Amino acid sequence: MTATSLPPNAAPRVRVRVNRLVLYTVLVALTGLFIGPFGWLILSGLKTPAELAASPVHWLPTQVQWHNFADAFNLIDFLGYARNSLIIALIYATLVTLSSAWVGFGFARLDAPGKKTLFGILIGSMMLPQMITLLPTYLIFAKLGMVDTYWPWVFWGLAAAPYLVFLFRQFFAGLPRELEEAAIVDGCGYGTIFWRIFLPQSWPVLSASFVIAFTWSWGDYIAPQLLLSTDRSTLAVAVMSTYVTSAGTPVANLQAAASVMYVVPILLIFLIAQRGFVAGMSTTGLK
Amino acid sequence: MTVDQIPATGRTGPVESTGRTAPPQRPRISMTARRHRAFYLFTSPWIIGFLLLTVVPMAYALWLSFTTYDGISPHWSYVGLGNYTELFSDPQTWNSLGRTGLFALTSVPLSIIAGLGLAVQVNRPIKARGLFRTLLYLPAVVPPVGVGLTFKALFDQNSGAANGVITLFGFDALGWLADPYARYVLLMSVLWAAGNVMIISLAGLQDVPRELHEAARIDGASAWRTFRSITVPLLSPVLLFQTVTGVIASVQTIMPLLLSPDGTTAGVTALPQSNYLYMMHVFSQYFALGRYGYASALLWVLFVLILIVTGLIFKFTSGVVFYNVDPEAKK
Repeated sequence: MTATSLPPNAAPRVRVRVNRLVLYTVLVALTGLFIGPFGWLILSGLKTPAELAASPVHWLPTQVQWHNFADAFNLIDFLGYARNSLIIALIYATLVTLSSAWVGFGFARLDAPGKKTLFGILIGSMMLPQMITLLPTYLIFAKLGMVDTYWPWVFWGLAAAPYLVFLFRQFFAGLPRELEEAAIVDGCGYGTIFWRIFLPQSWPVLSASFVIAFTWSWGDYIAPQLLLSTDRSTLAVAVMSTYVTSAGTPVANLQAAASVMYVVPILLIFLIAQRGFVAGMSTTGLK
Repeated sequence: MTVDQIPATGRTGPVESTGRTAPPQRPRISMTARRHRAFYLFTSPWIIGFLLLTVVPMAYALWLSFTTYDGISPHWSYVGLGNYTELFSDPQTWNSLGRTGLFALTSVPLSIIAGLGLAVQVNRPIKARGLFRTLLYLPAVVPPVGVGLTFKALFDQNSGAANGVITLFGFDALGWLADPYARYVLLMSVLWAAGNVMIISLAGLQDVPRELHEAARIDGASAWRTFRSITVPLLSPVLLFQTVTGVIASVQTIMPLLLSPDGTTAGVTALPQSNYLYMMHVFSQYFALGRYGYASALLWVLFVLILIVTGLIFKFTSGVVFYNVDPEAKK
């Protein structure tokens, strides 16, 4: 820090130490603010309904209700919804990663008239509000009889995602030219070059893209809400709407427990894949 | 690099790695033509997908916006600009549009300031830097439904921690999720994800050449001055990107829905007034009233507005945004 360039007398050193103390205090407090809400969600999931309804807030559950998590799991078909979410996310993330890598290769290594314009449209379409296309898309899928199937996710996956295309383009553009030249001379098609030479080199981007796409899909609420009937729907939709007693009153403590179980997988995936994920996020920012 | 499929072009046996000679016989079409064809082959999934999943739906929505289509009834009619004239005379359109504008105007700058501030702090040589970065970024990964439910638990009138804290100080418990406070909860739920801006700015910060800061310090510039005159200009492309995507995201946020007591699209009409944003108005026409034609008109108006706003943002920042780092990065 700044201390190194200052003459070694006592006053600045004390000031530096006080500065550090302030910095750490602020950082710890901020981190508390950012992490605190999770803690509260978990605590809410461990209380009884009576404690949750009590008027002066009960900070801690008097008796920890671990069984809330099991109850939340059993009250609805949690596993079934989780399976739906997982299937959709896997279909989408796999397809969109492959198709985006394919398209990204085209933009990075190949040339043709109109490339600039197409790339401009691709980047521009990143700014296109999804919601605006989603509602008419729903009506079209309804006409095609594809509502309540997972086909829309297949199509969305095959169509590549601009954000991920950009990610792959940046990566492929950075690889040396020699990589493909020899293969071209040997008469290999670009498909083979992509599949056998470029793809095996790109594990970091592939995994980043997969994780990003998986989280998008896992977190998506409106598309499954629109396109899928209740029992085919995803965990995101189920957690939001199905935690009610037979009398129709919402069960807040079970819903809190369920949301913990819904969010934790994504947080774990993030923590495991952190490096690639963060690298993926930051490349786009540097456009 | 296994090249096991050598096409039958007369070349047999192992390939010598002598390299640069033109391949025999094979290309009936030129190399360039082959590259062009390959380019379109490779980009076609996106091109076709873009046409079918974006252009067609938007054109369809445009057509619907001139009709009274409701999805069920076979009796719908072409009403020309009827939906548009109704939309502009509907006070709900203007009110929700105003709230959306206000929401974007507060949430986007605040997120960027918060994210940039955090980035600068966790870019300093501190202990447990990685841990701070991870923990501050963590909420940005939480899916919208998770954010909605977490904030509902936090701001619940009875069981929420927010009321727990303020009653400790002798204030009365507030109905956070109702008017007029709901808008602040919405804002806080967005700021919770400031880690997004942080992580992207952090990558930008690491590209700021160290010498620039050192030179400024030798010239006697204060920390604030260095930040303002060196860090911010160098980060400006990143900040512009954040602003544009932030505005677009805030315009189509579904968070008010997830924060509402009911929390589903069915309850969209029961939202607190202050969180009844433009997209909520679209949903209420669409889901609650089944007015697909009218909702499509609302969406097209929003689309045009977004185009205008992003155009203006680019126009007004063109002199300020400073591309330097790498000429390739400038698009």
